[in-house]
Amino acid sequence: MSSERHLHPVAMLIGAVSTLRRWIGGLVLPGIVLLMSQGFSLRTVVLFLLAVIVVAMLAALWGFLSWRATTYVVTGNSFRLNRGVFQKSERTIPLDHVQSVDTVQGVIQRAFGVYEVRIETAGGGASEPDASLSALDRAAAQSLRREIEGSQRERVEDSEGRKVLRRLSTGDLLIAGATSGQIGVAFSLLAVGSQFFDNFLSDDFVRRLIETLAPNWLMLLLIFVPVGLLLAWFLAIAGTVLAYTDFTLSREGDFLYIKRGLLERREATIPLSRIQAIRVTEGLLRQPFGLAAVRVESAGYGEDAGVSTMLFPLLPHDEVQEFLAAATPEFAVNPALQKLPRRALRRYVFRAVVGYLILALVAAVAWFVVFGSVLGLLAFILVPPSALYGWLSYRDSGWAFEEDRLVVRYRSLGRKTAIAPRRRLQSREVARSPFQRRVRLATFVAEVASGSGGSGLRVTDLDAGAAETLAGNLGPHGASA
Amino acid sequence: MKGEPAERLDPRAIKVWRITGLLNLLPLLVGAGVAGWALMRYGDYSLFVAVLPMLAVLVLGGMIVGVAPGLRWRRWRYEIRPDEIDLQRGILWIERTLVPLARIQHVDTRQGPLQRRFGLSTVVFYTAAGPNQIPELSTPIAAEVRDRIAELTGEQDEL
Repeated sequence: MSSERHLHPVAMLIGAVSTLRRWIGGLVLPGIVLLMSQGFSLRTVVLFLLAVIVVAMLAALWGFLSWRATTYVVTGNSFRLNRGVFQKSERTIPLDHVQSVDTVQGVIQRAFGVYEVRIETAGGGASEPDASLSALDRAAAQSLRREIEGSQRERVEDSEGRKVLRRLSTGDLLIAGATSGQIGVAFSLLAVGSQFFDNFLSDDFVRRLIETLAPNWLMLLLIFVPVGLLLAWFLAIAGTVLAYTDFTLSREGDFLYIKRGLLERREATIPLSRIQAIRVTEGLLRQPFGLAAVRVESAGYGEDAGVSTMLFPLLPHDEVQEFLAAATPEFAVNPALQKLPRRALRRYVFRAVVGYLILALVAAVAWFVVFGSVLGLLAFILVPPSALYGWLSYRDSGWAFEEDRLVVRYRSLGRKTAIAPRRRLQSREVARSPFQRRVRLATFVAEVASGSGGSGLRVTDLDAGAAETLAGNLGPHGASA
Repeated sequence: MKGEPAERLDPRAIKVWRITGLLNLLPLLVGAGVAGWALMRYGDYSLFVAVLPMLAVLVLGGMIVGVAPGLRWRRWRYEIRPDEIDLQRGILWIERTLVPLARIQHVDTRQGPLQRRFGLSTVVFYTAAGPNQIPELSTPIAAEVRDRIAELTGEQDEL
């Protein structure tokens, strides 16, 4: 078991491709300059092809060398990875520091039926880098996984097999994409893309195109905005499909497994013991249909996932309790929430409106000064919706402490419900501003560990006395006191 | 939540905060001086206008150096209970933080150059959600607090 092993030979190809990808940036510019300066004569084309071939061969050679130099082995209590063609590096990871062994299948790996294995370590983040093996065949990946995870004894005894808890159907996948609320992101992506496009086409051409398509700016707005939105919407759906196709959540003993992805199949492991909090999000577009997404916040999981990981992207809100009871029983509670006192409403509406109010005022005054018209007053149109948003935030906010779990509901665009058991809370804080003190309100925050630094469960403007009682009850002997 | 935490910071904290406030103010003071000079030299404003920036900085400085440290010291309280650390701080925004000892991962004391002159130290303790601190304790007390936190942390039954 303690012999050094090589990766699957496909690793050569993967290494070569990634090297090529790195070099191509440096090649493109000289290539273009060459083509531009010489024109498309036969000589330059041949020269260019020759260069491409040489580079490809070098990359292939590099791929082979780095494959030969890369070996891994599990010995005793640690995993060791040797790498480096010229500069040798040896990385040792103690097995009990291993947080999870994930497999990912990129496009190349899928074509050859091999897996990328990523070994994530706990609590390290950036300071304790993870190891990644770019290609292992199925058997090697499984045996490596067994060797590493086998050292965590509880797993072996608890091998009733993986049970699939929930799988995302194709219909739900599309709904998830359509309601993902990523339109904003996609829209800004489009904007960046169109700028890029602008640079490519000549200004003159664009102007003529626009002039023939839409003679005046209103027309332009009427055409471009809906088309842009539609494109952004499709982009958002495509993004969701890419990431969440065949999203499958399964559980075996104290571990959750997530498999997902269209082109790149990802598999992730979440140990139940590392989950700090659950957040159920009912997005703006999803709440009317009674749909929600569930995320987990886990401590120091991998380098990016420290913040939060999607546990399931779309399910009916009615089924969330049942789902949590099966997946993460520690977090399955659904208590009646304590609402905020009536006097908090004013503060909620004020907070939602004040920014827009100032902005609208500035806009109106500026418009009047510059154009001499009162059209700027139109900016105030934004004020009633934001007041409505403030009212909604007030109405949705609430908290409960039941069965030793803290539940907090709030609105930040979508309605969110966060759940954390008392024993996961790192600290509690009650803060009171001068304005809050005048009306006996306070802000309560309970911190849970999540990735780098903490993440809070926050209730804004609850009764000051209630906040203090809550902070006290959530203490070490809270259940009895 | 029980009443206010019992312990206070070392009274010398006020002096340290005054000095740090003053040091932080220096660039602003210089900036205001330059602005005043520029107003007179290039803007043809009278001396009364030119001293306005300096005046504003001085008022701000009076708040930061004169008033705030005392208020801050009076508000700052802490208490190490057998199972929790209780902190209270803030001049306008009053914050009260409770950290269970069972969650504390490690404790440090640290001392800046200014603190060393006054014989003060800061106790910093870390949970998985980040650091918290008790600033400006006299160095022997800080060491005592640090050791007590470490000792109590070890005694906690995980719950």
